[in-house]
Amino acid sequence: MAASPSAAITRALEAIAGPGRVCAEASALAGAAVDGVIPRWIVRAAAVEQVARVLALASSESLAVAPRGAGSSLGLGAPPRRLDLVLDLSRLDAVLDYVPEDMVASVQAGISLDALAGRLGQYGQRLPLDPAPGGMRSVGGVLATAASGPLRVRYGTGRDLLLGVRFVQADGVITWGGARVVKSVTGYDVPKLLVGSLGTLGVIVEATLRLHPITSAWGAWLWRFDAVPSAAAFIAAVVDSAIQPERVVLLDGAAAAVAAGEEARAEAAVAVSVASTAEAVAAQREALGALATRHDGRASEIGAGAWARLSEALTGPVVLRLAGEPARLGPWMVSLAHVARDGGVDLLSIGEAGGGVIRAALRTRAGAGVPAPSWLAGAVASLRASLEPEGGSLVVERAPRAVKDALDVWGPVAPEALALMRRLKSEFDPAGILNPGRFVGGL
Amino acid sequence: MPADSSAPDPSLIRALEGILGARGVVSSPEGRLTYECDMHTFYKGAPDVVVLPQSTEQVAAVVRLCRERGLPIVPRGSGTGLIGGAMAPRGGVMVSMTRMNRILEVDLPNRCATVEPGLINLWLSNATRPSGWFFAPDPSSQMVSSIGGNASTNAGGPHCLKYGITVNHILGLQVVTGTGDIVWLGGKVPERPGYDLTGVVVGAEGTLGLITAVVVRLTHVPEAVRTLLASFASIEDASEAVSAIVAAGIIPAALEMIDEVMVRAIEEGVGAGYPKGAGAVLLIELDGPRAEIEAQSARVEALCWDHAALEVRVAGDEAERALLWKGRKEAAGAVGRLTANWLLQDAVVPRSRLPQIMREMREIQERHGLVLANVFHAGDGNLHPIICYDENVPGELERAKQVNEELLRACLALGGTVTGEHGVGLDKAKNLPHQFAAADLNFMARLRRVFDPHGIMNPDKLLPSHPACGEGFRPARPELPRGAWV
Repeated sequence: MAASPSAAITRALEAIAGPGRVCAEASALAGAAVDGVIPRWIVRAAAVEQVARVLALASSESLAVAPRGAGSSLGLGAPPRRLDLVLDLSRLDAVLDYVPEDMVASVQAGISLDALAGRLGQYGQRLPLDPAPGGMRSVGGVLATAASGPLRVRYGTGRDLLLGVRFVQADGVITWGGARVVKSVTGYDVPKLLVGSLGTLGVIVEATLRLHPITSAWGAWLWRFDAVPSAAAFIAAVVDSAIQPERVVLLDGAAAAVAAGEEARAEAAVAVSVASTAEAVAAQREALGALATRHDGRASEIGAGAWARLSEALTGPVVLRLAGEPARLGPWMVSLAHVARDGGVDLLSIGEAGGGVIRAALRTRAGAGVPAPSWLAGAVASLRASLEPEGGSLVVERAPRAVKDALDVWGPVAPEALALMRRLKSEFDPAGILNPGRFVGGL
Repeated sequence: MPADSSAPDPSLIRALEGILGARGVVSSPEGRLTYECDMHTFYKGAPDVVVLPQSTEQVAAVVRLCRERGLPIVPRGSGTGLIGGAMAPRGGVMVSMTRMNRILEVDLPNRCATVEPGLINLWLSNATRPSGWFFAPDPSSQMVSSIGGNASTNAGGPHCLKYGITVNHILGLQVVTGTGDIVWLGGKVPERPGYDLTGVVVGAEGTLGLITAVVVRLTHVPEAVRTLLASFASIEDASEAVSAIVAAGIIPAALEMIDEVMVRAIEEGVGAGYPKGAGAVLLIELDGPRAEIEAQSARVEALCWDHAALEVRVAGDEAERALLWKGRKEAAGAVGRLTANWLLQDAVVPRSRLPQIMREMREIQERHGLVLANVFHAGDGNLHPIICYDENVPGELERAKQVNEELLRACLALGGTVTGEHGVGLDKAKNLPHQFAAADLNFMARLRRVFDPHGIMNPDKLLPSHPACGEGFRPARPELPRGAWV
């Protein structure tokens, strides 16, 4: 079919979403650019059926679509090969079904973590996901990007918490996968396929989520160490104990200062939170303290605000996500520090125990803070080469376009697995209209 | 023609023996018959030949051979499944993983182990428990079922209320797809860029590929375990106690319910010492840091008394704990005293709907004049009704099947699912269209063809033969505004 003129498509989009919900105005479009690629329309969908009809139109007109929740993580991914339409889902923000006794909630994808937390908190429950930069993020966006935070060591990630999902395929077909109960093995686990797929197989519009109770007591502490290896040894001891922490993070000096809310006075630190009954929080504090002392850690109390500050600290111009073997969290943090030091770049890094993930913000002292693309490309390549033998990866989660043009933000994927991913993509989005080019391997 | 009446093609046997050696191929009629069903003995179908590979390369070579010859492939672990999964309705080649049963590596610093698929579930925990670690998924069959089978069916177990089901404990898989390619998905590093194919292959019942190695997450042994057994006059009282425990923000490791019919059967058999007049028994297990468990168990005990418990017993040590679990574990044996034949069901309702489904189950059994017994995972609403019948009484089997279908429909009507932990297999494929719309089925069928374009991987299982699963089918797309732009 020959491409229709823009004005006609605008009218069609307005017929679907309503006149006030389609924006084709230049400055707004520039503000919605993804990696500098400016869309031709922004459509704010207010119903699942609208999402479906917009995608049906997009596939018949071959318009490239970027779904958007809160818009906080549009920087994730390679620059789009093309982009016509930003599909904003932030108005799909309803709680559809919530029976506290079942500890399950079904919500629309555009609801923010904070709004959901407000609702669940009234019943002493929560969705234990704490991705950076914070609770303004949408549930759909968090799932589509497989975003998680330190709470993962206790509660897992979106993969473990998403029970059922409604999504719209590229051709506009509304599809459901999974179940509305905490346990189901009926059919394929389609929700797993959608988590972390960056909207490239379908647009998530509803999520049914497993919830957890908010415990009666909570405590958080920071232990400072003279070097990363002793901090990492403390973490290994915690992991190999019966202590059940809610979070355990390894912090470099810069991150330690953020957590403590003061100037850095340590080379490394470990922040831990525990959620349980009052008696158990006290007992675990004591057990943690004993382990820390054995590794020459020095204790201080940190408030609940420390976690939000750490999350927000990861919003620099360049953010890396390194995933290696969990046991090698310490060595990888040291490697990152060496790379940054050699490049004369400031580093703030936070490692999650259990998940083996280190997130690192890089910033130069001069100018806009953006490291030279060629230097960064080299640094990323050398880290990836060292990660490769253990099956690790390094994703450039956030970077300016100039940096993205100099490297592959995702890094390599094993060819046999990538071949399957390509076949999936061409089966479910044959015309390549969903976030084309932004996912691994140029999918 | 039934597969077991025809002799397998001699050239196929020769080709397989070339891959596996003569000892790795079972082709005698009596040998093949031992593989004709899993624990759901309704469904019988012997393969034309059974192979017993010892390496991933052998598995891949078998799949390539089957692809060339267009033969169906059925994977099999220990054969303890309950869904008609590890049987061969179209004959073909069965791949038994029992000789691939080694622990390849235990990596405690990374909290994981790499094992072959035929390894018995409990053997892994037996190997790692002395170091303080265990493999959390604990299907009731864990003494005999294989980890590859657990992964293929995404098995559950009493303790998945707190610890999650098998998929939550799988970090990576080595898989031979329907094209004969060997693919590693995931691994020791808990995340990597790209689609989560590991998460999709787990629970796929061998339809997306044959699992030839599994990287599993290990869980630290909890500091303390406390088991409570509370008896109630009625299942309504017990259900309310369950609600109260959950409402108090306590997630027990296990929360098992035994109904009146089962309580009587257990008491008439081995005897677990349940109090007179008990109409329901709750088995509650808490584990975690000792201080937490002490506070929570006091709370749970009080909540049970608040909800009219007849008796609450608390186990302080391993011997007492085993005693409290005894009745629950004897349940399967006690069924034999209740009935000549039985159908074990597996379905889930939202926990808040337990009282309602209990009422509906009573109505269903009264309507059909059959007895239903129930031992189930109350914490996650996972029911295991046992439909009692006598195959020698004309019409009872048909009524049992009718009860079965009505039960599943009732669970679906309450927002539930037709299988919580056993899987779909041949048994429940026909039920999927009641739970999923055509578009949902079509998505799953296309997903399957991506991994298995030749349709040879465990055919007839997991998905129904339904128009939406057909190759050319496309669900209706939404209508576009007419005439607005073209």
